[in-house]
Amino acid sequence: MNHAVISCLHANLAAVEAVLNDIDSQGIKTITCLGDLVGYGPQPNEVVELMRQREIPTCQGCWDEDIIDGLNACECSYPSQLAERRGHRAHHWTAAQLTEENKAFLAELPMTLRRDKLLFVHGSPNSQHEYLLPDMNAYSALERVETAGAETLFCGHTHQPYVRELRQGSIRVKVQQRDQDIPTEHELELPMRRIVNAGSVGEPRHGSSKATYVIHDDSTGEVTIREVDYDVVKTCEAIVDAGLPVVFAWRLSHGFEYAERAEDASHVCER
Amino acid sequence: MGQVCLISGPPGCGKTTWALQKLQEHSGPCAYLRLEGEKEAGLEQGEDSGIDLAWLKDQVPRLEEPTADNTEDLKQANNSLTLIEVQRFHPPSQEGLKGFGEDVRSKLKALQLQPDQLLHFGRDHELPAKDTLEFSKLEAWHTSLLGCVWDPNSLSSFWFELVNGAYGDVYRAKGLMNLPDGRAFFCNWMVSQQSSQFLPLDITAPPQGRPDRTSELVVQGKALNPKGIQATINDCLLTDDVLAMQQQQPTSQG
Amino acid sequence: MDRWALVSGLQGDLDLYEQIQKELKQQRGVANLFVLGDLIGSQHNCNALLERLRQPHRADVQPECIYGWWEEQLLAECGYRGERKADGLREEQGEAAVGDLLAAVDADHLNWLASLQFGFIELDCALIHGSSADVSDRLTEDTSALVLLDRLTRLDVNRLFTARCQRQFRLELFSGSIQSHVKDHAGEHQSEQAIPKRSVIGIGGGRQYTLYDPATDHIEFRIAEDPSHASGRGFG
Repeated sequence: MNHAVISCLHANLAAVEAVLNDIDSQGIKTITCLGDLVGYGPQPNEVVELMRQREIPTCQGCWDEDIIDGLNACECSYPSQLAERRGHRAHHWTAAQLTEENKAFLAELPMTLRRDKLLFVHGSPNSQHEYLLPDMNAYSALERVETAGAETLFCGHTHQPYVRELRQGSIRVKVQQRDQDIPTEHELELPMRRIVNAGSVGEPRHGSSKATYVIHDDSTGEVTIREVDYDVVKTCEAIVDAGLPVVFAWRLSHGFEYAERAEDASHVCER
Repeated sequence: MGQVCLISGPPGCGKTTWALQKLQEHSGPCAYLRLEGEKEAGLEQGEDSGIDLAWLKDQVPRLEEPTADNTEDLKQANNSLTLIEVQRFHPPSQEGLKGFGEDVRSKLKALQLQPDQLLHFGRDHELPAKDTLEFSKLEAWHTSLLGCVWDPNSLSSFWFELVNGAYGDVYRAKGLMNLPDGRAFFCNWMVSQQSSQFLPLDITAPPQGRPDRTSELVVQGKALNPKGIQATINDCLLTDDVLAMQQQQPTSQG
Repeated sequence: MDRWALVSGLQGDLDLYEQIQKELKQQRGVANLFVLGDLIGSQHNCNALLERLRQPHRADVQPECIYGWWEEQLLAECGYRGERKADGLREEQGEAAVGDLLAAVDADHLNWLASLQFGFIELDCALIHGSSADVSDRLTEDTSALVLLDRLTRLDVNRLFTARCQRQFRLELFSGSIQSHVKDHAGEHQSEQAIPKRSVIGIGGGRQYTLYDPATDHIEFRIAEDPSHASGRGFG
């Protein structure tokens, strides 16, 4: 059976509607959402209400948590002062817009969702704020899935969709104890595990401005990364009309994140 | 007799880069002068605000500025080189200094400088044939950043946005920017080049408080949004508190 | 050669600390003493030891301390960790132990304890009470090698010295590999990653301590003599 996984909606209603249409048109009935319904984008209430109305199982993203607990709850270190100030502006705007009912909904979202051997999280099983990037150390990536007791881990947060399979892993170790003269050796055979990143519906940053999500066939294990066109201009106009920083519209329309992460911001001054 | 050479060309054609190379190759005394060219309709001269001279002096510490007092010595020295740079959108229509405006001529006269050679980018083959864009309408904007210190990652984001069109069509941007660790960077971008140059100055300031040295930003382009540029710059510059904190702990520990 | 001494779990026992100092002086070439947390506990009054650590005698190998699980409990209970309290201690040993801990340490040591770091990075070694994930992380020789490797990777070090489990062991990850296959919008690519040679070392706790020679990578697990017996036999 096919099911769809969406993540990082970021209050971008036009993108969410386009993705849901794309899912519906394929006759897919099961949808799971990995959080960050709000933040940066101009329609936080509309997006939360749409998810509530469609009763889509959702786990809590870092933005959903912070909008409830205040900025102090956020462990995310912004990559730069500029990103931090913009993030705070978006936070205050969003907090002021959201209705109490929608805030209560976000507050009660679970950290993780589990279906059999599938685990759904926003960032990683450890934290909503941890980035599981596709080039993360392969053993550490496997450790996240394995320690959480899952076979396939669905995550978001990085806004870059990918499917990663970790296989044929092994570790040989030698143990020396205080009262033993001769060390013992053994080998750990590691199981095959997968990480599927659903990308971002409302704030794509994979080199294009199209919304992304994934479809997983749980009988064959096949994963398809979908890219969906939506009316970017409409969302950009809404950003400007809402009084959010104009540069957010520019970044969104170019497929850059509203506030970039450190990885792509460090090239100037590191040498 | 020392040599005096005047080069002219439009913004971003490579005048300063060429001058730096010449000055570095030259072993004798050397001097550098940058003169504003004459105004042309619809085209604003980018205020240089001393960026080029500060950059060249950092790279070639023995570089002098021609004054009424030292030009005679430079002339007498057999192995001296004086470079004069003039920003000019189009090649001069007349031979020699006549092709330049009264402003340029009177300044040269006051300094008793008589160029032996006049070269224009895009016309003379002695100069590298870099792209010389056809400029029809150009706006210029500049701001002084004296005493300002950037959050390094914010500078990176700002520059990315600036040269990729978030604040209008930028054709040319250059600046001297201070970082909290005492380094300064010469940031240089031209629409026709593939990427920006970020060149560290050789001279670092002691990482204590705000450095007192030339720091400027010059932007040329079309439909510029100075308010937007300024607002983002304000978000990137470090406050006194943050600067003091960063300079107290230059490296973070894991 | 400059060797390191690694100690943990003194839990306020000044006699034990003095015994270890005495033994270190008898050993040649121990230049650094790292105290990897649990300076305090609920069993002894800890003030005398804390004063000695903060103001070492001239002849002492100068101690460098980080905080451990017991310090974390005390600091949390005293409001240094936001909303959290000494939940771990309450769960393990009950309310009375929390009271004993509060009574064992004078309040004027709190700011100093709060100033201690989570760990040290020396050369390519991490010196930590629990692990890079958490001060309460109990790494042993039976912990999954996958988890151990992750804790090493998080700090990008070749050796991780841990104290929380109070066991003395050295576990070396010495070979192995894993295949990674990534598919994204740009295409597919496959890579193989090999295990770098890395170790996790349990330094022990209380009377058990460890000497390490960074130049030769030699480790010596030691047990301090029982201070009461030692003084009885007229050492020092």
